[in-house]
Parts: sequence; structure tokens; C-alpha cells
Amino acid sequence: MIYGDKNLGVIVQNITGKQGTFHTELMNAYAREVGGRGVVAGVAPGKGGREVHGVPVYNTVREALREHDATASVCFVPGSAAGDSIMEAAHAGIDLAVVITEHIPVHDAMKAIAYAKLHDCAVIGPNCPGLLSPGECKLGIMPAHLTRRGNVGVVSRSGTLTYEVVDELTRAGIGQSTVVGIGGDPVIGQTFVDVLARFEEDPQTKAVVVIGEVGGNLEEEGVRSTDLPLVTYIAGVSAPPEKRMGHAGAIIEGGEGDARSKVRRLAALNVPVASRPSEIPGLIREVL
Amino acid sequence: MKMLEYEAKPIFSQYGIPVPKGVLIRSPDEVTAHLTELGDGVVLKAQVDVGGRGKAGGVLMADGATASETARELFSREIKGVPVREILVEERLAIEHEYYVSIAIDRSSKQPVILFADAGGVEIENAAKADESAIRRVIVAPLLRDIPPFLMRELLGGAPKELAPVINSLYHVFQEKDAMLAEINPLVTTPRGVYAADAKLIVDDNALARQGITVNRDLSEREREAEQHGFSYVELDGTIGVIGNGAGLTMSTLDLIEYYNGRAANFLDVGGGADQERVKHAVRLVASMPKVSVIVVNLLGGITRCDEVAKGIIAAGVAPTVIVRMAGTNEEEGRRLLAECGYRMLESMDAAVKAAMEVRS
Repeated sequence: MIYGDKNLGVIVQNITGKQGTFHTELMNAYAREVGGRGVVAGVAPGKGGREVHGVPVYNTVREALREHDATASVCFVPGSAAGDSIMEAAHAGIDLAVVITEHIPVHDAMKAIAYAKLHDCAVIGPNCPGLLSPGECKLGIMPAHLTRRGNVGVVSRSGTLTYEVVDELTRAGIGQSTVVGIGGDPVIGQTFVDVLARFEEDPQTKAVVVIGEVGGNLEEEGVRSTDLPLVTYIAGVSAPPEKRMGHAGAIIEGGEGDARSKVRRLAALNVPVASRPSEIPGLIREVL
Repeated sequence: MKMLEYEAKPIFSQYGIPVPKGVLIRSPDEVTAHLTELGDGVVLKAQVDVGGRGKAGGVLMADGATASETARELFSREIKGVPVREILVEERLAIEHEYYVSIAIDRSSKQPVILFADAGGVEIENAAKADESAIRRVIVAPLLRDIPPFLMRELLGGAPKELAPVINSLYHVFQEKDAMLAEINPLVTTPRGVYAADAKLIVDDNALARQGITVNRDLSEREREAEQHGFSYVELDGTIGVIGNGAGLTMSTLDLIEYYNGRAANFLDVGGGADQERVKHAVRLVASMPKVSVIVVNLLGGITRCDEVAKGIIAAGVAPTVIVRMAGTNEEEGRRLLAECGYRMLESMDAAVKAAMEVRS
């Protein structure tokens, strides 16, 4: 497992919002199931003193951390305020900020990620499903019932496509060490390089599935950075140029970042590239 | 959203970047009235959103005698298939040298990147391909308001120092206008000083509201309708309609259609919380394209309620065959509802796409 285990204390930013409330309960249901600590406090400015599913709410991250031992935050703060919330968490001493929020202006993301780095806070996301280490902890919105503990890491720019691949792996009897969704925006905190470096340090992880998309070249950088056995898959082979395919980051710009040339470059690095998600379990067996 | 040159230039000007005097015209006859103000030599520039506009015949020179004839000629042209409806008429500059400067977002370092070349103009892309060192590149920490002088020196190399304040102003535009791209090509020196002869500005779609932009012109009418329902939608050229949840899974479904030698008609991501109403709107929107003969619905997620989705599909009541693959809560109830109304619900995305191919043929 990477980023945290059962003992990880978690706060939720904007815990009183619809998504924050709903997923706090799901995260804590998972924590109860695996005997973990889960969400110990929530933050919502002006709503301190309340409780959400038994979790105490504070006005600021600093106040929450004064009363509770937590090092990670899951952020459900809406777009234009999310950058500020990431900086607040980093400033207050949070080590890991998992940002679920979609539609954060990219300049806010750049500033918040740079600010968090100054405070040694790693940011996962924005626009991501978070991470889940089966049997240990869940930070974010991934459906836990699809996962199964094992020794394959998964790192992905997608949400539901990640669930699809995890489901395929689990059905094939292949368990996961940690599943990380790094987010679909053009600027994200932890990239493939960062997550793969953590997987390399993790004795549980024997191989990793890398799920990429059109746009940019983060996948190739990640693959070049590691010696771990990998299987890759790139979504968007049929995507036309200059069209944003749902994710802000999934766009072929200036003739760069198209899936076919990504697939070619990955294949040139001698990494197996699945041409559809259902091929992934078979390819993983070959590299394990 | 992409701004056109005539929209970007006043913004650049507000930030202290000198731009040529210019007037926007919408018909050829308007040009003569402005000649006294612009001088005898003018440049006519088609306001179309295409790259390589100059090479494609979208920029013409004229003088007082030929201006209205030249305008007529330019209005009659199509630039890479785009009709010319607006022309920016500008004073002609006495250009000594053309440079290139562009500020964008570097995904790898997660920071702004500034590109500069001593030889700007229409050939910049070819020049960059031929010789990568022709373009200098610096990364600026996003928490800094100004480009530090040491980076500016590195960027400019031997180029004139008088370019520095213009480039720093462009960096302010980039930051304050939530730009994905702010570019001047060419940035020119003249006996009267430095000018932005062209201007390119792309605003982050996630920041349009705070920039006071209410309509995203980059979207087609159907795409805008989809956006109002909270869908991400892209129209494609095939016949198989696609509805998915999540960008990655939806893209992957399109790829799978191509893998089985089909062509998708669209990309539609319904987003989170696919309830009955949203699913109904999505199915109707896709079915409203006459070319669509079959629709693949591929929904996966821990909290997707399959009975809700089934009701939405049934309520849409559209002509094309709808083939469903979904996983979530109340799966059995969803399957039963769909089966009652004659819809097929399949176990995997491979099976759903294959079934769609059979319907099509």
C-alpha cells in the first residue's frame, strides 16, 4: 500500500456539502469494515460545532487539526474555492490533499499545487476519484466493493474507467495493492512519475497498471521513470484533434498528445499496451 | 475559449502592450471611412479561428486606392473552409524584425512555460521543427507575479531589451485572464517601438464565469444544449450513439467501437449521479441525430442506480435500438424493467459493443 494505511487519520473539507456528507459515510463504512481510523473530522467555514454522520465539524482545517490527529484531507470544495482550500490544508500541516473537485480553474490548480509543495504537502487530483488501498484505507469516492487486496498497483487519469479495470482485475482473481486516480485535468499534483516512485518503494506492489488518456505526455514520462513491470492502456485512440473529450486534460493540442502516437511510444519502450480494458488481466499475468 | 485577434488586442493594450491602430469591419464599404485615421498603407486580416491564417490567404495588404477592392476580395474568401465575416483593418507597421513569444501551461512541471524565438512570423513552426534550439524556453514559478530578470535575460538572449516589459505584460495577461495560452506572433520592432502585430488568447473554460464570459463560442448548438444538462458532448462522424459515465470510460467505449470496426456518432458523458431525468435527456439528445441507428449505454459506478437508469431509457422511448451495459446498485431490478420493455442489458462493454455492431449491420 502507498500513501497511507489503516492508521491514517482523514479530514473532509466541505463535509456539509451533498457529496462531502455522502462520501464521508461511505469512507467511514469502509474504515469500520477494515478496522481503520477513517474520517475523524470535517471542515466547513461557518458550520463549526455541527456533526455529520457522527463526525465533528470545524470552521477551519487548523481548528480540526488542533483537536484531532489527521495527516490527510479529502476535498469536496467546489471549483472556484477549491484552490484556496488546498492551500489552507497544506498551510495547516496536512501531508496529503486528495482533491475530488471538478472544474477548478487551471491557474488556481497551478498556484495551489506550487503552494502545497512549499509546505511538503502532496496533492492528488484535482478532478479525481481519490485512492483506495484494499484492506487499509479509502480516500475519495471509489466503489470499494469492486476492489480486492493483492499485489497489483493501479494508477489512472480516469474515474469510472479505473473502476472498469479494477473490476476486470478482481473478476480475474488479481487483487490490488493501491488504486490511485490522479485526475483528468491538464495540471494535476501527483503524476504517474510520483505515484510509480511510491509503488517502487512498496514491497506489496509487484506490477502496475498505468491507465492514460489523450493529451500531454505524462504517461510516457511515468513509464520511463520506473523499473516495475507495467501494463498500460490509453483511452482516446478514436478521439479527434482539438476536441475536449470530457476531461479538461483530454485534448489533442497542436498535434501533440494523441493516443496513437502515445501507444507507439509506449510500445517502443517495450511496455505491453492493451488495446481494450478486457485484455489487461491477461497482460498483467504475463508480467507478474 | 479562443478569443479572436480583434478581441484579444484591446485586452493586451489594457495591459500596456502596444498594438497597431485598427478597426473591425463587417462589410467592404466600411473600409474607406477609416483610411484617414489608419494612414494610406493598411493590412486587412480575416477574423477566423484557424491556424496558419496568413499562409492560407487570410491576410492582405492594401493602400488607399485598393482598400475597398481588397476588402471585397477577402470577404469573398473562405480560409481553410471558414467564411470571412469580419475583417480587422490595421495601420501597416514599418517592421524591422519579427520575434515570437508564447506563454502556455507546461503539464510536466505544472507551471507556466514561456517560449521565445528570434525569428517569428508565419514560419515559426517549421523553424522549430528544423532546429529545436531556435526556440528558447523558460519555466516560471506560478506564485511569482513577474518574470524574474534572470529568467528574462535567459529568454531574450541577444534580443533587444525593450522587448522585456512587453513580455512581462503578456505574463500578466496570462495570469489575470485565466489564459491557457497567450501568444504574440509576430512581436515586432519598428522605428516607433515594439508592437504586438498579432494576438492570440485562449481562456480556460473552467474560468469563463469569473472572466465575465457567458457563452462558450467554441461549442456547437447541440454541444451547448448538452452542457446545460451537465453533459460533456462531442459530435463525431459515425452512426453508433454512445452514452457513458466518466470521460475515460466513455472514450474507452468509443475506442472499443473502432476496435470492432464501427464508427461512433458521438461522445456523451452524463457525469456523476445518472438519474432518470438525466438519462432520458441524454438518450433523446443522441437519438435526435438522424444518422444514429443504435445507441450503446455504458454506465459503471458504485452509486449508479440501475433501476433509475432503466426508467430513464424507457421514458425516452426513442426509435434507435438501445443496448445497455450497466453495473451499480439495484442491478436486477434494472435488468427486469429493461427486459419487460424489450431492451437488452449485457454483462460487459465488449458484449454491448459487439451487440451494437450486429444491430447496425
